[in-house]
Amino acid sequence: MNIVIVGIGKLGHKLAEMLATKDNNIKVVDVNQAALSRVVNRVDVLAIEGNGVQVQLLEDLDMKKTDLVVAVTDSDETNVLICLTAKSLGCARVAARVRNPEYANQIEFFKENLGVDFITNPEYDTALDVARYILRGYTAHMESFASGKVGLFDVPVQALPHLAGQKLQDVDVFGQILVAAVYRDGQVIVPSGATELQEQDTLYLIGRRETVTSFTKELAFLGERHTTRRVMILGGGRAGFYLAQRLLASGLIVKIIEQSEERCNYLAASLKGVLVICGDGTDLELLQDENLAEMDALVSLTGNDEENLMLALLGKQQGVPKVIAKVSRSNFVPIIEQLGIDRAVNPVLISAGEIVRFVQGGQIASLSLMFGGQAEALEIVVREDAPIIGKKLSEAQIPKGLIIGAIVRKGQVLIPDGSSMIESQDRVIAFCLHSEISSLDRLFYPKQRGWLHELWNGGKGPRKSPSN
Amino acid sequence: MNFGMVARVLGNLLLIEAAFLSIPLGISVYYQERGAILGFLLAMGIMGLIGLFLANVKSKSSRLKAREAILIVTLGWTLTSFFAALPFVLSGSVPNLADAFFEATSSLTTTGSTVIPDVESLPKGVLFWRSFAHWLGGMGILVLTLAILPSLGVGGLQIFKAESPGPSPDKFTPRIVATTKILYTIYLALTIVQSLVFRWSGLSLFDSLVLAFGTVSTGGLAVYNDSLMRYGSNNFLVYAVAIGMIMSGVNFSLYYDLWQRRFKQVTVNSEFRLYLAILLVAVVLVSIGLYGKVYESLGETIKQSLFQVSSIMTTTGYTTADYDRWPSFSKGVLFLLMFVGGSAGSTAGGVKVIRLLVAAKVVRREIAKTLHPQAMTPIIINGRVASSEVVQGVTSFYLLYLAVFVIGSLLISLEGLDPFSSMSAVAATLGNIGPGFGNVGPTATFAMFSPFSKLLLSFLMLVGRLELFTLLVILTPSFWRE
Repeated sequence: MNIVIVGIGKLGHKLAEMLATKDNNIKVVDVNQAALSRVVNRVDVLAIEGNGVQVQLLEDLDMKKTDLVVAVTDSDETNVLICLTAKSLGCARVAARVRNPEYANQIEFFKENLGVDFITNPEYDTALDVARYILRGYTAHMESFASGKVGLFDVPVQALPHLAGQKLQDVDVFGQILVAAVYRDGQVIVPSGATELQEQDTLYLIGRRETVTSFTKELAFLGERHTTRRVMILGGGRAGFYLAQRLLASGLIVKIIEQSEERCNYLAASLKGVLVICGDGTDLELLQDENLAEMDALVSLTGNDEENLMLALLGKQQGVPKVIAKVSRSNFVPIIEQLGIDRAVNPVLISAGEIVRFVQGGQIASLSLMFGGQAEALEIVVREDAPIIGKKLSEAQIPKGLIIGAIVRKGQVLIPDGSSMIESQDRVIAFCLHSEISSLDRLFYPKQRGWLHELWNGGKGPRKSPSN
Repeated sequence: MNFGMVARVLGNLLLIEAAFLSIPLGISVYYQERGAILGFLLAMGIMGLIGLFLANVKSKSSRLKAREAILIVTLGWTLTSFFAALPFVLSGSVPNLADAFFEATSSLTTTGSTVIPDVESLPKGVLFWRSFAHWLGGMGILVLTLAILPSLGVGGLQIFKAESPGPSPDKFTPRIVATTKILYTIYLALTIVQSLVFRWSGLSLFDSLVLAFGTVSTGGLAVYNDSLMRYGSNNFLVYAVAIGMIMSGVNFSLYYDLWQRRFKQVTVNSEFRLYLAILLVAVVLVSIGLYGKVYESLGETIKQSLFQVSSIMTTTGYTTADYDRWPSFSKGVLFLLMFVGGSAGSTAGGVKVIRLLVAAKVVRREIAKTLHPQAMTPIIINGRVASSEVVQGVTSFYLLYLAVFVIGSLLISLEGLDPFSSMSAVAATLGNIGPGFGNVGPTATFAMFSPFSKLLLSFLMLVGRLELFTLLVILTPSFWRE
């Protein structure tokens, strides 16, 4: 696929990293030479210095042969303009980042009337993610696959204290649920029967939706159940705004602390029912006056990572059950969750995941990035000519870092064991370490036309790589 | 330092080199050269074993940083040169190890200097290997390895940068592997066209193949003792080789631009224009020295002058005339051309025209600044402002090149040759050209040097091929500090 990414900020860089596989020819456009040389030194992409809005530049990039333009400069208007220009020059699909809340209700208009195929709003997606987390009654977090038939969720071992110290093969509470991964000290472990569970571990379980739901209900009795009522949001930026709006709609009591008076006025005017406090979120006395300790959840969404981190830790220390912090550097997510903060959210990672999901469309039906991109959970529609068809899973040479979590066949969910076989048109939900993505290719896509072809096309190619 | 990964890449490199040895082996089998067959088989066995051992070294991660890439490129070139020398020794053609290493390094770095006074006595297979090594080294053997073996999973950009000539090697497609393939396709096409043309001009198949290898890679090792002088009267062939050399000294990405019908990119390319301009001026200057004194007819003057100028400037080193006997003005021009070289991104060695262009603009800027100290005068190359990194890189490259040249010349002058011979020997090896002047002139060889000097000159060839910094940084202590 020929992809052009305009704007190499954090999101552009992450996208280039994630999309740069041997099937994609990626060109990145930016005016900033330093940003370009950074990305070129790390990722196999072609850098083009220039302003992506210029028609001449887009024409030189040959839009007719381009499959996708992603506009992620820091200006919404520029992004939309780039998309419109690219589209009218013949580009197949275009995607833009638009994050101004004032445009939020015209996203559909952009899509339908202006022809922008995909729009991502990192702050909005982040707010949704946080809201989903807060609104849940229990500590498990669920991702669903195969249109909701399969669920992947995380449970801390602390919620199942009798499991700590046991080997996985001796544990039978899970029944028809598979342990896909164990998250320990910021590292993802793909477990075997001999893996011993520790108290600080988080388990990632995958299974049929109904089984999972009943299991988590059971868990809710085991663990302490929290109904979140009162939420304090520190920082009334875009993400704070969306989150407050969302929580308000669910009937929660929301308090926003924001420093800028002007912004406070805007928030108070547009979010009826939210208590907006104008003050410094780092002022401990102010927080105590505002009953920090009484809160059910604290979300720190200021523009400063360190501040978010310290405030979340402060909340934890004051006894707030759920603390959530926004971090703008995706690499820090695992470290921060290790510090005792319940959830670290990274808008770039969330947005990049959305765009990659959009890009890969047909091939990978659904994908979630986990642990700051260390692992992926993906849903693959099995092709007729996939090499894995007709082999028992135990004999298919599946590497350690890859787990086939569920197979959906004609609407039925199967939890596989060593003797299961995969058939064509199955939907396979796989959990995979990033380093093993290439073996996914080997298992699910046919080898093409012998070694000479492999030599020329760089081998192991799932799809034929479009040449320039 | 990720030594496991370094070992793996080097192991694969040796395996590929061993595989390529089967081609000269086939030639030797065809000509029934028993000693050479044995030599090639032994060399392939040794390389295969060591290669297999290295290729199976475990590594924790497949990540390569700039440091590992530099180590891989330097060690890779040294090792391949060393192992390329094995067939020479094991076949008994060049029994002395220092001689064989010099010859192999000269082949791989596309230098074209030789220590063998009577090359015609060598087995055909060994002769073929000398020229084929030119071809392998011309475009960069590590980049080839990465292109053939993408499964190594190595980010090739660092290696590409360390191995490719020019101040800022650029890929022109998003993926490095695609760029490499395009470059090799152009390279292969040029080789095939040239061998066909040479064959058509009357050479034997063997001769036209080795001549094409030497021309397209700007190598210059000939299979006859008198280089190409025996063809001096074959006007068609002389012009064909000259044009072939000139084409190989052009940045290969321009051929890609032609293919993509971006003609304007080619005609406005400032390096290409300066390259042709220097070539033209040098031909005129050399001809002025020659006309009426050495050659009576204008046609002969221009032919010989064009051939020698393009051969030296593109750092090839073929000769159709003994230019050592030319008037000193013509010799002086040729000597200066040794410090110009071809274009960046070509197979030619030397300093490279683009560096000359940047340096000239820096000098002009300094002169202008004495009049207008406050003037903002960016260095513009091909319509773009050259970053200060590139400009600084070029200036320090020049200084370092000069320093290496001076130190090398001093060390070589210990041999007791006349200064011009010593200096030209260093310039010819450092610039990957081949023959020099005087005692190392077109009709002479490097055979009379002591083993120490031969190793020193081989080292200079590697330093020149890897454009100084890549190799010299390895010698600094801070490279090895973590």
